[in-house]
This record gives sequence, C-alpha cells and structure tokens, in this order.
Amino acid sequence: MAEPLILHPVDRPGIATVMARKGVAPGTLNAALGLSLPDGPGAAFAGSRTAIATGPGTWLVLDDHAGADFAGRLAETLAGIAAVSDQSGSYLVHALSGPAARALLQRGLAIDLHPDAFGPGSAAISQIAHIGAVLWQVDDAPTYRIAVWRSYAESFRHWVEVTAVSLDEADQGG
Amino acid sequence: MRIPCPFCGSRDSREFVHRGDAGPARPADGADAEAMFDYVYQRANPAGLIREHWYHAQGCRNWIVVERDTRSHAVSGGAWPGPAR
Amino acid sequence: MTRRATGGLIDRATPLHFTFDGRALSGFAGDTLASALVANGVRLIGRSFKYHRPRGILTAGSEEPNALVTLRTGAAAEPNTRATTVELFDGLAARSQNRWPSLRFDALAVNQLFAPLFVAGFYYKTFMWPAAFWEKLYEPLIRRAAGLGALSMEPDPDAYDHAHAFCDLLVIGGGPAGLAAALTAGRAGLRVVLANDDPRAGGRLLAENAVVDDVPGHEWAGTAIAELAGMANVRVLARTAVIGVYDGCEYAAVERVADHLPSPVSGQPRQRLWKIVATRAILATGATERPLVFGGNDRPGVMTASAVSTYVNRFAALPGRRAVVTTTSDSGWQTALDLVKAGVTVVAIVDPRRIAPTHHAVTTLIRSGTEIMLGARISDVFGSPVRKVEVVKSNGQVRRLACDLVAMAGGWNPAIGLGGHLGARPQWSAEKHCFLLDEAPPGLAAAGAAAGKFSLGKALADGVAQAVEVCAALGRDCPPPHFAGHDEPADGTPFWHNATPLAMRGKAFVDFQHDVTDSDVALAAREGFTSVEHMKRYTTLGMATDQGRLSQLNGHALLAAATGRAIAEVGTILSRAPWQPVAIGVMAGAHRGAHFRPERRTAGHDWAAEQGATFVDAGLWKRAQWFARPGESDWLETVNREVTMTRQGVGICDVSTLGKIDLMGPDAAVLLDRLYINTMSTLPIGKARYGVMLREDGFVMDDGTVTRLGDEHFYVTTTTANAARVMQHLDFARQVLWPELDVQACSVTENWSTYAVAGPRSRALLAAALPGCDVADAALPYMAATTLRWNGGPLRLARLSFSGELAYEVSVPAQHGDVLVRHLFATGRAFDVVPYGTEALGVMRIEKGHPAGNELNGTTTAADLGLGRMMSRKKDYVGRTMAGREGLTDPARPALVGLVPVDRTSRIRAGGHLLPPGAAATAASDEGYVTSAAYSPTLGHPIALALLANGPSRHGEHVIVHDPVRGADVEAQVCPPVFLDPEGTRLRG
Repeated sequence: MAEPLILHPVDRPGIATVMARKGVAPGTLNAALGLSLPDGPGAAFAGSRTAIATGPGTWLVLDDHAGADFAGRLAETLAGIAAVSDQSGSYLVHALSGPAARALLQRGLAIDLHPDAFGPGSAAISQIAHIGAVLWQVDDAPTYRIAVWRSYAESFRHWVEVTAVSLDEADQGG
Repeated sequence: MRIPCPFCGSRDSREFVHRGDAGPARPADGADAEAMFDYVYQRANPAGLIREHWYHAQGCRNWIVVERDTRSHAVSGGAWPGPAR
Repeated sequence: MTRRATGGLIDRATPLHFTFDGRALSGFAGDTLASALVANGVRLIGRSFKYHRPRGILTAGSEEPNALVTLRTGAAAEPNTRATTVELFDGLAARSQNRWPSLRFDALAVNQLFAPLFVAGFYYKTFMWPAAFWEKLYEPLIRRAAGLGALSMEPDPDAYDHAHAFCDLLVIGGGPAGLAAALTAGRAGLRVVLANDDPRAGGRLLAENAVVDDVPGHEWAGTAIAELAGMANVRVLARTAVIGVYDGCEYAAVERVADHLPSPVSGQPRQRLWKIVATRAILATGATERPLVFGGNDRPGVMTASAVSTYVNRFAALPGRRAVVTTTSDSGWQTALDLVKAGVTVVAIVDPRRIAPTHHAVTTLIRSGTEIMLGARISDVFGSPVRKVEVVKSNGQVRRLACDLVAMAGGWNPAIGLGGHLGARPQWSAEKHCFLLDEAPPGLAAAGAAAGKFSLGKALADGVAQAVEVCAALGRDCPPPHFAGHDEPADGTPFWHNATPLAMRGKAFVDFQHDVTDSDVALAAREGFTSVEHMKRYTTLGMATDQGRLSQLNGHALLAAATGRAIAEVGTILSRAPWQPVAIGVMAGAHRGAHFRPERRTAGHDWAAEQGATFVDAGLWKRAQWFARPGESDWLETVNREVTMTRQGVGICDVSTLGKIDLMGPDAAVLLDRLYINTMSTLPIGKARYGVMLREDGFVMDDGTVTRLGDEHFYVTTTTANAARVMQHLDFARQVLWPELDVQACSVTENWSTYAVAGPRSRALLAAALPGCDVADAALPYMAATTLRWNGGPLRLARLSFSGELAYEVSVPAQHGDVLVRHLFATGRAFDVVPYGTEALGVMRIEKGHPAGNELNGTTTAADLGLGRMMSRKKDYVGRTMAGREGLTDPARPALVGLVPVDRTSRIRAGGHLLPPGAAATAASDEGYVTSAAYSPTLGHPIALALLANGPSRHGEHVIVHDPVRGADVEAQVCPPVFLDPEGTRLRG
C-alpha cells in the first residue's frame, strides 16, 4: 500500500534571488541562467536547476547540484543585467508527494491546488499555517517542493506532524 | 476578503498589509510644508469607491492599487501603482 | 413505552446505552440525545435561564432553546450542548443544567415568585444601591445565579483542524432543495461542495412521510447523496454547518469530525474549520417553524409541530399519548395526521383560521376522534409536564382539554440568517408572512423553503432552477433534471397575539432561552425601546444560542403591534457570525498554547538551549535573554556577570534577528539618501555607517547600519521589531514613489546568522578563530567591513559596536550559523568568553545611551534623541519637511537625558514620569518620562535614559521620578545620556 504522505528535505540546494535590472526583459537572463525564465507566476525547470517567479522581474533560483558560492558565480554571470542575493541560508526546501499531499497542503494553504487551477510548473508564494512558503509543483503525481523560511522550520515541522495525523481516507487522491 | 494581486492572482487578504488612499501624490522636493502636511494627513475618506495601496507582504512583495467600496467591502480591481511592471 | 414498535430511520439492530443525570437509559443508532430522551419518556430536561422554570424539549433542530445539557465528563465536558443536535453514541453521559440541588427540585425556581422584579432590563434598575454592596454582595450573588452550564475549567483535550476548499458552487443544506441543486450542478460538471448539518442527507424528507420520484423521500435522499459522493467533482461535507459568510465569496463551516464518537481516534481532530472560497453559493437551509405565543407555552410537553412530526416519523419516538395540535398554518394539520397514523390520540386540533387546508385531513381526523376547532385558540397551558390546555372557541366559550402533549405550529421563518452576515437586511413578505433575503451577499441565492418556497415540489424545482442559473453564469451547459414531489398545502395566517389578558393566564414566552415574555416586549415598547435593535438588547430577545431563529419574528410582530406599526416597518434583526455556537478551539485549530503563533529560531538557538539559556519573545523570534550559571541566585546576578565579563574580557551575543536587506542597482545610493536622514551615497566600499530613517510625518521610524559592499551593493540592517516595516517602506519608495530609479531590494534576514563579539579581548578571539584574516586595527578599523571565506562559504566581518566596547559582527549564511557559534566558543574558551543575552545587551547599550525600541517609540524625533546633527541639510529625504514643523523642533520638547538616582540603592523604573521636586503629581507638572532603565554593574548603581523637557540644558538638575503604580517616588539627577566612555576610546581601540 502506498504511503499516503512522503515528505523529506532536499539537501543543501544552492538558492539565490535574481532581480532583473530596470528595463531588462526576462529573456535577456535566460542564456546566463540556462533556462527559460517564466514571465508570470510559475516555475521553469532545466536539469538540476529551478527558477520560480516570485514577482515581476524577480526569481528564486535553486540548484540541487550547486557548487560553492552559487550566488557569487550567478552574480558574475549576470553582472549589469540583474542583481543577485544569496538565499542559501534562508530556506529549507522539502519535497512532498503521495496521495494525501494535496490534502495536507490544503489544510494550511489558502490557494486552490485542484489540477484545474494548479499543475506541474505552477508556483505560488504564500503562507502555510501562517508560515511564509514558496510552493511549486514538479509533476502530476502530484509532487511538490516547498521552500520554508529557515527560522520557521521547527514550527513548520510541528504543523506537518499534527496535521498529517489528521488525514484520513477521504483525503487521499482528492 | 480576497485581494486580486496583478501578479499572483486572487489571494486571501491576510497575505497583505493595508496602507490607505492611493490618491494623494507625494509633493516634489522643495514643495512647501502645507502641501506635505496635506499629503501626510488629509484624506477624503469617501463613502464609496476608493483606490488604495496594499502590499503583498506574504506573496510577491509588491505594492498594488486595489479598488474597494468602503461601504460594502466589494473589491473591484487590483493593478500596479504605475505603468505595467 | 414511548418508542413505536416499528418505523423510523433508527437502526434497531444497534442499541446504545447512555445516561442522563446519572440515570441509565438506552436508544438506537440514528437517535439524537433528544429523540432518545423522548423515547424514554423523559419530559424534564432543564431549567430556564432567569426564572428557572422547568423545561422540556421544544424542537428537533439546532434552534433548540431549552434542552441544553452538559455533555461528557472531565476535561471534555461541554456545557450548553443542545440535545437535539447530539448524535447518540454508546456510553454518552449528559447532565441537565442550571438547577440545584436537582432538576426536579430546583432552589432557584423561587425566582419565579420575584418575576415582576425580573422583567426585561431589571439589571439596569436594580443592584444599584448602596454602591458599596456591589462588589461584596450583589456581584458574587449574580455570578452564582447567572449563566447556563459550567465549564470544566480544564484545558480542552481535543485537537482541532483547519482546511481550505475552493469550488464553483457551495450548496448550504442537504434537504430537497439543496440535493436538487447539488445534483444539477454536479451532473453539469461544476466543482460543488455540499455542506449538510445533519449526518444524513434529506432535511425535512427525513421528518415527513413525503414521496419524491415515487419513492419515500428519505430513500430518494439516500440515493441522491450516494450519487453525489461518487462524483469526482463533488465534495460532500456531512455533519458540517456553514457558520459565516464573509467578504470575497468566502464561507466558514464547522465539520463535526468526531463529535458522534465517544472520543476522537488518536490524532483525529474533534472538529474542523473549513474556509471555503465559492464563486457561487446556494442557501438551501430550509425554514424554522415559529412557536405560538400563549400562556404556558414553555411548559414541558409543548413542542413545535414539525418537531413532533420529526420525533414520530424519523425517530419512532412518541412525545405524548394525548395530543392537542394548535396551528395557524397548513403544515400543522400534517402533524395531526402523523400522530394519528402513529396511534397517538389527537384530542383536538385548534386552528384560529376559519377554513381547514383539505377535506381529507378533516375527515381523517374526525374519524379518529379528533375534535376540529376552527376559529379557536389556546389561551393557557397547565401542568409541568403538560396536563391540560385551555381553549377559547370561536363563540367565546372556554374549554379545558386534558392532554400530555401540545404541538404548536405558528408558520415558517426561512432560515436566512447567513444572508445577513454582510449587513443586508431581509425584507418582509406580506404574502408569505415572513422575512426573505432581499440583497443577498454577492454570489449567494436562496432556494427552497429558505426562499419562501415552502412546499416540497416547489422546493425541488427551485433547487434545480438556482443551480441552472449558476451553471449559466459560469458558462456551463446544464440540461435541468426534474425531481417529482407533491406540493402539499403550505399556507398559513399568522396570529401573533395572545388576546387573553396577562392576569387571566400564565406567562407567554417569546424567547424561551432568555425567558423573554410578551409582556417584556410590551414593556420595552413602553419604555421607549421601539427600534427592533434596541428591543433586542433591552430584553435580550434574540441573543440566545439560536440568535432569534425561533423568537425574533414573534417578538417583532408584538413590537409592531405595541408601537402601532406594520411588521415591514419594524424590520428584523441581523444574524451575526457564527450562525450557530462554535467551540473556540475550532477557531484556533492547531494554533494553541506554545503554537499559538509560529515561532522563529535563529541558527544558534539549539546551541543556546544547550547552554541553558532562558529565552524571551521578540515578536515571533525566540532570543536568548540570559545564560544562568549554577549557583546564581537570580537573573540580575547572571546579567551583571555577563556585562562585567564582556566589558572586561569578551562576550558573544546572537544578533541574527535584526532585519537585513540587500539593496542593489545603479540607483541604490540615491534611494538610500532619500530614506535616511544622513548621507549614504558617500559611504566608501568596505565601510559601515549608522543611519536613522524617519516616517513621512517626521518621527523616527527605525535605525540601523548600512554597509557598502560594492559600488552598487549596500547591506542595510534594521531593528528586529521593524524589519518588516522597513522592507515595506523601502519597497514603497522604489515601487511607488520613485519607480524611475533602477534599484533592486531583497530581504536577507533569514540568510545570515550574525553574532556580536564584544570586549577588549574580542580582537584576539577573532584572530584565533579566523587565522586567515588580518583583524589588526589598521586592517580593520572602526566601522570597516570585510568578507572572507570560511567553512566553504562567505564570512562577513564588520567592526560595529552596540555595547561600546571594541566589537565586531560576524556573519555567515545561516546553514553554517550553528557551526560558527560552536567554533567561536571553542576558540573563545582560551579567552574566557561568555555568552550574553538580550538583557546584558540592553544594559550595555543603556550605559552607552544608544536609542533602542523604548526610545524609537513612534513619538520621538531625531532631535529628541540627540541625533539632530545627523539630519542632512543638503538633500531631501522622507520626513524632512514634517520634522521641521514648529512643534517638532521646539527645544522644550522632551529630549534624551540620563538619570542617576540620588540614593544609589533606589531603582528607577521605565515608565516613571518626571516631575520637578516638590510639584504635585499632576499632568500639568509632567516634564517627561523614563524610557529605559537598568542596574549598571559597570558603575555600581542603577541608571536610566529618559525624555525630559529641555533635557540637554538641564544636566545636573534634580527631578522626581514618579511611579504611582509600582512604588515610591525616587529623586534623580539629570546627566548626559552616555554613562561610560563618552569619547568612545574603547570602541576605537
């Protein structure tokens, strides 16, 4: 029988905020970043790298195989066209999947995750149980990634723990 | 209450911080104290439609302008404060 | 026996055992507590609120005013639970309330004798004199006598949950109209949520012997709900009551997940709060039957007629053996027929109207021996429980009839309370004698009985029609289904008044739970409370758990008559969320106790906890307040040690909670100059500068440091408390005020773990901890910053001091913050390093006169804080103009000074007000107040910072620190606000 809920941290990704300089279109940054940056809300994927649009002209870029000084190297490649801030310490990233994954998220997230409204490549910056989170969907299993501010990690863990226990049959495959 | 963020879409109002009337324009450098006083304190406080600034603190962290009816709380539009971003 | 041998929707194969007031009783699965009590012949359920009158079950629904019991025992005990809404489970224990020593013999029933004193509003007229009696006598007496039920006084042992749902259509109510609407919309492919209060679908179909599509109504409902539950696009929420309508098409509902079980399964929530965003909603909540107002209408054995039908039909329980039915509407006749069919003697049917609804009803009743009394009304009821009624016939003759059950049918109130939650008042329908939704909340429409379509056929059709309309509005094709139901007679003529004078009859109740009678309404009118809202508050009519669902229309009609107006003119009161009583626990969900708010921890938190730190809340953050060592007798001893060891050696403090912002771009410097009072554009790379930001009204908003890391890269810090506010301010400036600037900004508060390393040995410690870094004064002078590699990542080192000692701030990305603090302390052992917390941090900054939160309190200007010279005259910045106002530049304004107590052993406390010696303690003499105070171990006596009128010119003078709340006045000497090393030689070392 499949586990209703699988949640585990994603190990030490490189994370940085990329902010386009004034007048620079997203397309201009694509070559340097190695993917097609989404212009509106959403996520783009290329290999180990993910870019989440967090606002107009602003992206959170994550790389599961980032080497040392991810933000510094990005800043060099984007010099003059975008500002880069290291966020490798700011977030803990979790992978969430399983038949009850959507139901767990809907317990604390006031955004519609129904396939009609949110699917692979969708992303949202919002709150889960009053804790700031960046959420994106990787595939239609559904598999999600959740980046939560590091200082809230313990509160988030506690919420997941008590909420996961409350999930029942009605919450699976919902 | 739901607020239509032009970037993120319709969101729970709790994701936002409310500032107030977007009408008053900040006087330019060197303007007299009278003008600045009006900008800081004077508000029309209409019973009806108002355009006001909200900050999407828990979302895209952008300031937006929301049109709201102060009598019914009906929110009729969310837009960027200036030219399209 | 009062349980029918056959029939009903109970599961006779599953008997259940329960107790009521300790008495062992039994029922069946499918019973409510109320129906099981009825089936066991239990007539007396509780005592009324004010008069302690004996009361029985009045209704069969959530509007029940009388049958309030305390359910369960121990910590899970819940008072004021309506027995009609409790699903019976095995082992249920319930107790009656508001009675002592027992239900049968209640001492406070003596209140009835004082009834003329306890009329509406009596508490405004009594217990006033003498004033001294209030605290010692009246209030304790009232407390003991007041209220219904008692709390367990133990923490709620249950877990509660929250959930969010989104749909095209929310159907509120699972009766015929609701089911018809949900089926229609569900089959058309809309995303539907159906919320039904009852565990079973069907609504009134469960209580009546009606037929839909040629099958019994309850069967049709069962098939319908099964079809809905099988649709992937439909979510059925049973045992779920919608309790509120909110702006933005948002609805709140409470799902009773485990209330029907003896206790929740481990981990299962007891209840769940749903927050549902629904593009459209259909209010199919049905209608509530009105009681009739006649003498003794509250006696045990008097019930609403629809309740009688419900107990007889759904629960196979007989509330009596000899019934009198009194009705002003056609539906009451159906109750009489239901009783006859169940073998109950219907002694008479008393209908003030002149014409019966159907010939068939009349003949059936006559054949079973019922006396038909048209144009007649009940004037009084006797017995507790009921033994006899008094009827006034059309010819004026008065008859007394023996009976043990009175079923009253006074017409129907559409249950539209939810429709008023956004403020729109319902409108009176003269045709239907009820209030109907006029301006519904956006997206919501009523259907079925809730829309005044009382008969079954019309209710089904209306549910379909409303759903078709929703589909059309959402651009969805929807061939309308047809559900066949009979349109039974559904007319009525309201008879609001009991024409028998009060002297000739017993009390006639309007609001049963709050013991409000028709005389109370008349009294309110006589005393001038003629607005329906005033009458509500004055009499408390409509303020009980049913929010007037039963009472209000009778009350409004009486008020209309008493004030010579039409009901339409009087209007009705608005219901407010929650529409039904809601446990506070479900509103909290998981956010209780330690988890009331999310908690923020720094990267050094675990290390600090290992060191035995005591933590304090700083907003959502937990910060180490001090680190007690074994043998220390109190926090003061600990803090004094931390300060002394730091000033004499080296101390380390976690300052990660301060706000941090990366500000970048070609115009970053321009923006900073427009936000800070001082100039930042001249800051060289590798240097830091202290800055102050004002609000646009000229008052100080925040202070912090700006470090220049590159031509187009500044690193801005803020106070912990203002981190979010400054970020918003910065974003407002670059997005709204000056969007032409090319500036990018991003909060990095979470990214960096920062520690202050302070004290004469701080340089030596860092030289040992960071061997690759030249920390000599020449290489890293005061206010300089540098970046190096450490542990595979960047490490920023800045020479900044909040303590006034030689000091540094060391920052690494937060994922290395734990490793760093351990490394610093391991290296620091050789230097006798001490960890210090926020208290010691506070003492040291007070010794140095640095403004902090207490001084940056939103009412101070830069000049007040002695920072006036920082205000640039060469540039414009936010707040400059307003800060120049006469009132904000007046030298007489309270400005920052230091205070030292004349008697060095006296404490000065923050908040104390400053008075000239000898002056009276009045506002007129007030010269300022103490903002921060501490014991200075460095100086050996208490010190304080204060805002004093004309402060800077009064050093050496004496003032009195007046603190009436906490202690005696203290005489203090005014001095400069810097108590230690005013030239700053230590930090420049």
